[in-house]
Amino acid sequence: MAQSDTFLQFSVRKAYQGFTLDCAGRFERGITAVFGPSGSGKTTLLNCISGMLSPDEGDIEMDAAAVYSSSARINAPPDKRRFGYVFQQGALFPHMSVRQNVEYGYKLTPRSERQFEPDDLAELLAIGHLMDRGVGNLSGGERQRVALARALASSPRLLLMDEPLASLDAAHRASILALLKSISDRLGVPMIFVSHSLSEALALAPKMYALDAGKMVAYGSTPEVMAHPSVARIADYGTLENILSARVLEHDNEDGTSRLAIGDAVLVGPPTDSSPGESVSVSIRSGDIILSLGAPPLTSARNAVPAVVRDVRETGGLALVYLDMGEMIVAEVTPGSARQLDLIRGRDVHLVIKTNSIFTFAQDSG
Amino acid sequence: MLFETILLTLRVAIVATLLNLPLALGLGWLVVKRRIRGAFILDVLASLPLAVPPVVVGYLLLLLLGRRGPIGSLAESSLGLEIAFTWVAAVLASAIVSFPLVARAVMTAMEEVDERLERSARTLGAGAVRVALTITLPLAYRGILAGVLLGFIRALSEFGATIIVAGNIPGKTQTVPLAIYDSIQLGQGEETRVLVIVALALALATLAIHNWLLRRSRGRDA
Repeated sequence: MAQSDTFLQFSVRKAYQGFTLDCAGRFERGITAVFGPSGSGKTTLLNCISGMLSPDEGDIEMDAAAVYSSSARINAPPDKRRFGYVFQQGALFPHMSVRQNVEYGYKLTPRSERQFEPDDLAELLAIGHLMDRGVGNLSGGERQRVALARALASSPRLLLMDEPLASLDAAHRASILALLKSISDRLGVPMIFVSHSLSEALALAPKMYALDAGKMVAYGSTPEVMAHPSVARIADYGTLENILSARVLEHDNEDGTSRLAIGDAVLVGPPTDSSPGESVSVSIRSGDIILSLGAPPLTSARNAVPAVVRDVRETGGLALVYLDMGEMIVAEVTPGSARQLDLIRGRDVHLVIKTNSIFTFAQDSG
Repeated sequence: MLFETILLTLRVAIVATLLNLPLALGLGWLVVKRRIRGAFILDVLASLPLAVPPVVVGYLLLLLLGRRGPIGSLAESSLGLEIAFTWVAAVLASAIVSFPLVARAVMTAMEEVDERLERSARTLGAGAVRVALTITLPLAYRGILAGVLLGFIRALSEFGATIIVAGNIPGKTQTVPLAIYDSIQLGQGEETRVLVIVALALALATLAIHNWLLRRSRGRDA
C-alpha cells in the first residue's frame, strides 16, 4: 500500500452557529494537524468528516469512496463511516468499566474487519492494569489512553482527535504525543488532530492544514505551513516549545543535575525525581536555544549539542530553524543572525542550551 | 370494599404510568436528542395539563370520550365500548394529568447525558437505537425513575379530572381519593380516617421504593 497516497479528500460548505466553514483538502496517510485559532472552524470540519454534522453541500471521500456527497445524495451515518473520534477529555462511558469501554466498539466491529485486539491495545497503551476498574478515578492521561484504546479497538479507517492534549498537564502531554506517534507508526492508522497549539502540531504532525475564519489558509509540510504569512498572522511563535521525550541516564547529586538522552544527544538538565532508565517529558522553548557555528568555547550554559540544520523558515520577524539531533528540534533566532551564521540546509551547528531552560516532567504511569 | 378500592387505585395508577413512560421517552428523544422542528411546541403541549386545573382536563376529556364525543361515539359504534365513566376513563385522566411530571423529568434526565458520549458511541459503530439503549437510557436511568415514581404518585392522588370523566362509582371507578371525598361528604369519620391512612401508606411506600431503587443503582455504579 502506498503510504503517501491521498486517502481523504473533502470539499465542504457548512453554515454553523453564525459562521461559515468553506474549505477543501486532500490529506495523505500519516498524521495531519488541523491548526487554527479558536472559532476558525476546526471542530466543525472534524464533525463534518466524522458525520456528526451534515455539510450544506460538498463531498467527502475516503479511499476514493464517498461518505458524503450532496450531489449524489450520499450521507453515511457516523456509525457506518468507521472513523474513530477522540474527544478532549476522553468522553469515557461512566457506567462502564475500562474494559467495557474499550470493548464497546470492538464488539460492534464485524469479526472479519477487526484489526486490533483489546488486550494488545491495552498493552500498547499501558492500561492493562486498569481494565477492570471503573473510569471514575482515572487521571487525565489515563482517560486519554483509554479513549484511544476504545477508538482503536473499533478498527477505524481513520482517527479523528479534537484537542487530544489540551486537557493534559505538561507531564502527560509528551507521553501521549509519543504514544500517538508510535500508534501511527506501528498500527498505520491515519490521524487527523485538531489543535490550536503550534507546539503540538510541531511535535506530532509532518503535515499541517491551517484554517482561519472557516477558510483554509495553508496546507503542506509543517515547517512550511508554520511559516506561512497567513499562519504568522494567527500564530503566537513566542510560546513555541519543543515537546520531547527523554530518558534519564543518571543523576549528579553533587552538581544538582540530571543527564538526559534525547535522540542522539545527551543533555544536562535540572534534577528530576525520576530514576535512571525512566522516561521524562521535556520542554524546551524555541526562543531559549542559542545556535553556534562550531563547538562554542566554555560558556556558563552546560549544553552544546551538535546538530544539523534541516530547514530554515523566515516568518513574522523571526527565523525558525529546524535542527536534527536524532530528534527534530526548532530554534527561534532573528533573521539577521540566521543570515550572519549562514544557516542553510545541511550546515553543522551546535545548540547551546542552559540547564535552566530545560523543563522536565515525570512521566508516571498516569 | 376497601381492598377493592385500593386495588383499583393501584391498577389505574400503574396503567397510567405504563402508558406515560414510552410516550415521555419518545417525546424526550424527539425534543432533546433529535431537536426536531417545532420541538418547543411539543414541549409546551406536554406541560399544558400541569398548567390547567384538573377539572378542565376532566371536562375536555368528557367532551372527547362522552357518548356524543368524537372518540366516545366511535368507540361505541365500532366496538360497542363505553369509555366515559369506566376505569379506562380514570386511567386516561390520571395519565394526562401526570404526564407533564414524567415528561419533564425524562427530558431533564436526557439533557444531562453528555452528548459527546452518544457521539462517541456513534463513531464506535453503534446505531441510534443502540446508543439510546446502551448509553442514553442507562445514564438517564435515575432521572427517568424519579419521573416515573413522581407520575405514579400524582396518578394515585388524582381527583379533579377523574371525578368528571370517570364519575365516582364505588367498585367501578372510585379510587382512594374519590372514596375519601365521598366519606367526608357522608360524614363517615371512621371510614375517612382509614382511607386517609391508606393514602398516606401508599405515598410512603412509593417514596420508599423510589429511594431503595436509587440507592441500589448507586451501589452498582460504585
